[in-house]
Amino acid sequence: MKTRRSFLKASIATALLPMPAFAQGQPRVLVVGGGFAGATCARELKRLMPDARVMMIETNATFTACPFSNGVVTGLRELRAQQFNYEALGSLGVSLVYLSARNIDPQARTVTVTDGTALPYDRLVLAPGVDFRWGSPAGYDEAASARMPHAWKAGEQTLLLRRQLESMEDGGLVVISAPPNPMRCPTGVYERASLIAFYLKARKPRSKLIILDAKDSFPKQRLFQAAWQQLYPGLLEWVPLSNDGKVVSVEPASNTLVTDFARHAAAVANVVPPQKAGAIAATAGVADRTGWCPIDPVTFESPLQKNIHVIGDAAISGAMAKSAFAANAQGKACAGAIAQLLAGQTPGSGKLINTCYSLVAPDYGISIVGVYQPVNGQYVDVEGAGGTSPLEAPRETRAAEANYAAAWFRTITAEVFG
Amino acid sequence: MPRIAGRSTPEIIAAMEAFRSGQKPATVMDRIAKGFTEAEIRAIADWLSAQK
Repeated sequence: MKTRRSFLKASIATALLPMPAFAQGQPRVLVVGGGFAGATCARELKRLMPDARVMMIETNATFTACPFSNGVVTGLRELRAQQFNYEALGSLGVSLVYLSARNIDPQARTVTVTDGTALPYDRLVLAPGVDFRWGSPAGYDEAASARMPHAWKAGEQTLLLRRQLESMEDGGLVVISAPPNPMRCPTGVYERASLIAFYLKARKPRSKLIILDAKDSFPKQRLFQAAWQQLYPGLLEWVPLSNDGKVVSVEPASNTLVTDFARHAAAVANVVPPQKAGAIAATAGVADRTGWCPIDPVTFESPLQKNIHVIGDAAISGAMAKSAFAANAQGKACAGAIAQLLAGQTPGSGKLINTCYSLVAPDYGISIVGVYQPVNGQYVDVEGAGGTSPLEAPRETRAAEANYAAAWFRTITAEVFG
Repeated sequence: MPRIAGRSTPEIIAAMEAFRSGQKPATVMDRIAKGFTEAEIRAIADWLSAQK
């Protein structure tokens, strides 16, 4: 690796000498967003190009991770186990700016942050994650989320949902509203339902949980459903789109969720709203009519704006799910491509992996794996690879996967934030 | 869990081949290994064996 790095360094220096855009021969790369995608990318950019000026713009000095936050919702772990800071990133030489990006000028190549400073870039990486489409379902806005939490961005919302579950009386009805795709963590709703069912079974066994779903299928569906039948019979019910599952409006005052033909008065209502790329993507002009960001799968550069790359949940990355694992993989691939582009080289395409674990119970894990490669401008599954855990497996296998899930979380957070 | 970094290239190739063929019991590595060609597995093994 050392050889390759010094070669890269040398070639960057040579390539940049005659170009006035890169004052002092130091390319400037800005990363907006410090989640799994952005923080990975910033770290990898600095590792690949020690002489580059790599700056990460992130609103919050503390990062609160979403994976495993369903354990916080259900009292299995504390929120602080989800929280990380950027000190290690800073000590590696990444400049940290704890402000929000307010505006982007792709022609002048500047990002204006909330204090009014315009920061110049040669390459910009946007990793803004998701924003909610407030007003969908009808009546679900930010104020409503204080009564009916989404808990789909980890933090205060996670704790609010937990408190509501804790204070609910035995016999209460918990309703989760699941949005259509594309969404962040497409298996997260079903893991959450599972762990809430685990909590209810142990603590409030006369209660019931319903998932009202705007979809007719979901990943690892057969595995989840088999486990639900085994672990939570009569407690957890999944209502698909075709069975009147789509929530069309909510009434926060009475905690009611309304579908085409039914009204569900909930003791606890968890509304996961429809999503789109984080707002700065639209501001930068890299989001298309879907609200998400098309990319070149090799470089992650936007076809809509030159020199702007989009990674993580905000990007349209074909068959790759919007997961922390995928965001981490994309962060590395994008950093590699940017280093090559800045060195005047042509980035080559590679394969990316995604593994998503879900806990159906604290000692019952299942997984889905994908291996992806760019074909015709889009990430597609490599045939013959990937897939889910076996439908039939001994409990030891499920317990092992639950352990591997925890190990995965420790590993990825150590790699990105440690 | 055994460390991967620093193992020899042939050792890593053999493990990946065994995952790919299903000879070596696994939870996710069998599903991952099937996504890579022999040349890619060699490149992965070369890189990993060079790590400390």
